[in-house]
This record gives sequence, structure tokens and C-alpha cells, in this order.
Amino acid sequence: MIGWEQALATPRDAAPPPAFDKESLLRGFHPDHAPGAMVPLRVGVSAGQPCPAALADLLQANALVEDVDIAGRAMREAEVLVVGGGGAGCVAALTAARAGARVLMLTKLRMGDGNTVMAEGGIQAAVGAEDSLQRHYEDTLRAGHFRADRALVAAMVQDGPEAIRWLIQQGMGFDLAEGEDRIGGHLRRKKPGGATAARLLSFRDYTGLELMRVIREAVLLTPGITVLERHPAVELLTDPHGRCAGAVALDLERREILLARAGAVVLATGGAGRLHLSGFPTSNHYGATADGLVLAYRLGARLREVESFQYHPTGIAWPPHLAGTLISEAARAAGGKLFNGLGDRFVDELAPRDVVAAAILREIAEGRAVAREGCAGVLLDTPGLEAAQPGILAKRLVTLSHLAHRAGFDPAREPFLIRPTLHYQNGGIAIDAEGRTAVPGLFCAGEASGGLHGLNRLMGNALLELVAFGRRAGAAAAEAVREDRPRGVGLTHLAEWERGLVAAGLPLDRRAPMVFPAYGNVDLAAMLRKRVAA
Amino acid sequence: MSLEPGRSLWDSGGMTIPIIIDGHAIEAPDGASLIQAWIAAGLPLTENVGCMGQGVCGACRVLVRREGERIAAAALACETRAEAGMQVAFIDHFPARRPHAYDLDAMGDSWSALGQVDAVFPEAKHCRHCGGCDAACPKGIEVQKAVNLAVEGRALAAGALFDHCVMCNLCVAACPEHIAPSHLGQFLRRMANSLTLRPGDLIERIRQIENGSQAIDLDAPGAQP
Repeated sequence: MIGWEQALATPRDAAPPPAFDKESLLRGFHPDHAPGAMVPLRVGVSAGQPCPAALADLLQANALVEDVDIAGRAMREAEVLVVGGGGAGCVAALTAARAGARVLMLTKLRMGDGNTVMAEGGIQAAVGAEDSLQRHYEDTLRAGHFRADRALVAAMVQDGPEAIRWLIQQGMGFDLAEGEDRIGGHLRRKKPGGATAARLLSFRDYTGLELMRVIREAVLLTPGITVLERHPAVELLTDPHGRCAGAVALDLERREILLARAGAVVLATGGAGRLHLSGFPTSNHYGATADGLVLAYRLGARLREVESFQYHPTGIAWPPHLAGTLISEAARAAGGKLFNGLGDRFVDELAPRDVVAAAILREIAEGRAVAREGCAGVLLDTPGLEAAQPGILAKRLVTLSHLAHRAGFDPAREPFLIRPTLHYQNGGIAIDAEGRTAVPGLFCAGEASGGLHGLNRLMGNALLELVAFGRRAGAAAAEAVREDRPRGVGLTHLAEWERGLVAAGLPLDRRAPMVFPAYGNVDLAAMLRKRVAA
Repeated sequence: MSLEPGRSLWDSGGMTIPIIIDGHAIEAPDGASLIQAWIAAGLPLTENVGCMGQGVCGACRVLVRREGERIAAAALACETRAEAGMQVAFIDHFPARRPHAYDLDAMGDSWSALGQVDAVFPEAKHCRHCGGCDAACPKGIEVQKAVNLAVEGRALAAGALFDHCVMCNLCVAACPEHIAPSHLGQFLRRMANSLTLRPGDLIERIRQIENGSQAIDLDAPGAQP
């Protein structure tokens, strides 16, 4: 390990990094491949699949509620129930409502307070003359190590340009290339790590904030959508045929259970960063606790690639109070370089994220990292970037400069100390091209769904996925409600689930979803007991 | 926030800083943000939290009064570090008093767009120039100037001032005329984009997709491992 002062004094050598075998790098240093990181699932339709141990504990737990808890509770009716109020949930709700469905949205925090608003790097869509849908398709498959579902990837890629038009119609802005006109001009395009063309469209370096504030306003102003904030879903409801027919929500304000019955349910509950897999810090929002996966799995929805998580290369390593906070890939897409403590580049900064993250972890493991006040990482050379492109920090990397300011230094003079941070759930609930899961009546979109990214997601495909599949799932859900109305709604699926737990020798008293991270000091069980006592 | 489930937020054992949050006298770990100080004190966190440090969701709005100061200032708890003697109160979220409803799709003729500013936000012209919105904004936006520009009909210039607004709505709370400045800004920016942003490369690619010249070959050589 090299000390901070010494590392700063070492001249940085801009020579290209040495070549190395990517597969052995990933096997040696990516957290997904660490010994003991994965366990096979023992119950449910995806039994046998590898899964991070902390997530498996939640997936193989018992429900928080049982029949007696829901008897006589207030019931809300809707045609489409959307669980989750981030980007995918809002897009699905808008689409379903505009198709004529009465929509109810449940969200654990406030609408919009999810990962979308934090996803600032950009959104991919193949609009460049030299680019094509085919290249976007192939880049996405390759980055995901050919484990993604081809039909899903093709559907997402094909939706790309239309998704951008749709976002502009909602009022979202996109940066134009230098000197281009608002009508007929060309969009600013950047090359995302792992892609073969400049395909990343953005708004400043806060694309996700721009997307989310526009979509949230649209939801607020669209008749036919009711939003219940601070209402996490704690279980799904089924009809006697096993069709998903709504959800059990906990009203955090009143500490009461509320039932929401609907003809179709769209799960858009996002990711799992707050599980802090392998002890990593996370860039995710406070509510990212895999709740949707837990609920859907219990109902019989198949999971895929849940063993694969994305560790974003550039999380803050110092100062400790910001550890895990993301520095957008925009910094590297714009030309920012990474250096180890010896002043050498050690990886192509625009290689796929899994490769860059593993390379950083290799530098740390092999003693070439930089240490500052006990925090280990490598350097993101913002002074070098500013020197090469004067003014870029102030003009185009506003969020990054703001972050440096909060960390207490000037990014034009001092580099960031960074290390990988748990960022994205690559897999999730298996869906088809209309967002249907294996469970009738249950749809899924956004980070909670699986199949779009294989074993590694390209930057900018998360925002595209949530728009493309939020629209697809919302439309399909609105279509599905007209088939029949749910009757005899309850928790009939739990009896079989509990039998499965017993048969596998798993405890019945471990309960999930987790809803809030342990360090949030929220005693969910006590909240439920208080309700029963009352 | 670097910590595993079940581990305490700060291993420090280092210095602590006395502050008061929502009436709780707590010892904040040195360097902690206000929201980190809250959970480090063992207090339950189910609201006034979102992105937890990136400063983009606007959920953790607080009023902060520093020692020796008379005026309480608005801030975001995830961005503000604890200082000795700080008094902090989380601010509840509440809907704007009256909805400023509009439908971008129904706006139709863009000649009518500027008139819509007054039709949807009639209160904007009653600005008292009290500066309450400017003082409330945790992002340093020139809110009052933007509102005044909007009333003058300078829609793009006004909207641009709201460029980095996180919609925390503290300006909404601060405005005695119920102008709802953040929503006005959002309206201006959405209107401008939906009416005037027409990228040529995007339109050309959509045309190609529609006429079938961008078909994807699922089994092309480049799609094989």
C-alpha cells in the first residue's frame, strides 16, 4: 500500500495499461467469484441456482404476515397495482393509466426516492449514424458474457430511440452536441464503457434526476393514478388459482396493514444494494433491500442470474462519511483515467464495469493501492482530466464537482480516492418481452427483473430498460386486467411455501422481506405485533 | 455508507459532537452527516430518507440552526455534517396547497404556450419579492429571479435557472403567495423540451426503424460467444 502524500508526489504515467486475461482477472478478483460468496437455493422454483448467501436467507424465509393478520383489514381496489415508485414503477403506472386502467401505486419511501434519481451517467439509444440497433444488441450481449435473453435484449434495443422520443414528449431534456440546434441538431453522445459506439445520451451529469423529476411530475398530473407513499408491500395476494391479485401493504404512518386488490400487479421494487453483499459499501438508495424478489419468488416466479451483481468501479473510498457514494461513469466516459499508487494505469478505464472493478480490487489486493487515513483505493485523476479539457469539471461534471466539494477538496487539484461499490443487481425475476413473470397476473420491470443484462450491465442500459420495460409491463398489465376480476383473494400460496421450507429443513421463524436495512433501527416485527395487540 | 448489516455505522471510538435532532440530544460521530448521526444514535429511520448521500432526491429536508445563530436555514440532512450545538428538525412532506394542473399533450399550438404559464400558475405574478424561496433553496437556485422571468414570458431563461432543482419543494413551503416555484420551473422545462426539442439524428433513426432498415439479426456472428 502506498501512502496518500507519496502517491500524489508520484508522476502519473499516461501510457496505456498492460494487457491481461480478463476471464482470469474476473475469476480471481470479482466479488461474485469469491470463495463461499454463493450458496445454492434450496427451495422454490429456482432451487439449485447459485445465489449470494445474504439474499438466499431472504428468499428462503417465511412471510411477515399470515391469514389472521389480513382478516378484516381495509381493502383498496385498483385495476393495476404498481409496487415501487422509482423509474420503472412510474413509467408503468403512466402507461397503464393512459391505457385506461385505474392504477394504485405503493411505494416504501416517497415516489422517486429510488435508484433512478441517482443514475446520472446517461441512457443508451443507438441514434448515431455510424451506430445501429444491431451493434447495441451485440454490445449488450457481449458485456453480459452472452448470458442475457436475446429476445429481451432485442426488444429493449429496438425500443431505444422511441423511448428517447417518449421521454422528450414527457418533457425530459437531453444535451445536444456542441453548437447544435434544438430542432434538427444532433444529440451529445458519449461512449459507455464496454460499448463499440458513442451511444450514451445524457442530461448534464444528472440524467437520472432529470428523468425522475419529469416522470414523477407526469404521474402526479395524470388522472387515474393514486399514489400511497410510505406503504411498503410485505406480501403478495393470490386468488385460489394461484394468480397474483394484489398485495399486503404496511402503512408506516398509521402502522396498519392495508390490502390492495388488483387484476394485475407490476413489481418495480428495484435492487438489493442495501444487503451490502460481501461487506461492500453501496451506491444504492436506502430502500434497496430486494423486497420484490422475495415476494415474487414465494409466489413461484422464476429467478435468473441472481448470482450476478455489478460493483461500480468508482465508489468513494475517502472520506469515510461518503464511502460507497457513486462517482458517475461520466467522469471516465469523458476521458478520466485511473492510476494506482505507483502512478501507473492498470486497466482500460472504458472496459466493462466488471473488468474495471475487478482490476481495482486486484490493485488493492496486490499492494499497489493508495491509502488515505486508513481507506484504500486507487486514484481517479480529475486534475488530469481538467488539464486536458479545461472547464469540464465546472461545466459538464457538475455533480462530481459538487461531490468533491462535500468531501472537502478541489477536484481540479486533487484526485478522488475510489474503490468499487455495490451498485446493481444484474439478474432478477425472469420475464418475457411483455414483462410477464411465470406467475399469472404478475408483471415485473426495472432492476427487479432479470434477463436484460446477463452477468454484467452496460452503463446506460438501466435507464433504457426501465423506460422500455416499464412501458411494456404497464401496457401488458392494463391489457390483462380486462380478462377477469379477482375473487377469493388471500394468502393461499403460503401453506405450500411453508411445507417447502420444512421439507428443506429451513427455519419457519426467519421472516422477510427486510424492508429496511438493519442499521435503520426499524423493528418491523414490533410494528406488526403492536398492530396485533391493538 | 460503508457498513455491513448489523455493524455499527462508525467504528470510530473517536470524537463525538453534541447536537439535537427532532428533540433528541445525541452524540454525533465526528464527520458524520446529519442522517448518519441519526441512525448512529439508534433512532429509527423510515422517512425523510432516499438517496442517502448523493443529494439528489430531496427527501431529507431539515431546518438547521447553528450555535449562536438566530435564523434556522433549510438544508439536506445527507449533505450537511454535524457541528457542535446544531439544532436540527426534519421537515415533513406535504402536498402543494393547490395543484397546478396541466396536460402537455393538450397544449397543442405552441403559440399558446406562454399564455399557459399564467393560466396554470396565476399566483406567479403576485410575487412579493420577499426572497423566502431563495433563502429556502438548499441548491442555491435563484428561485425568485426565475419566477419573475417566467412572468415576463422569458420561459426558457426561467426554466434554465431551475436546471439542477431536486424538487425538494422547500421553496413551495416558503412562498407566502402559493406560487409553487419548483413546480413552475418543472412546467417551464417540460414545456420547452416537449415543444422544441427535436433532435435530427434521433428522428432519422426512428424513421429507419419504422421503414425496416434497422432490423436486428438475433443470431449474427457478433452475437455469439
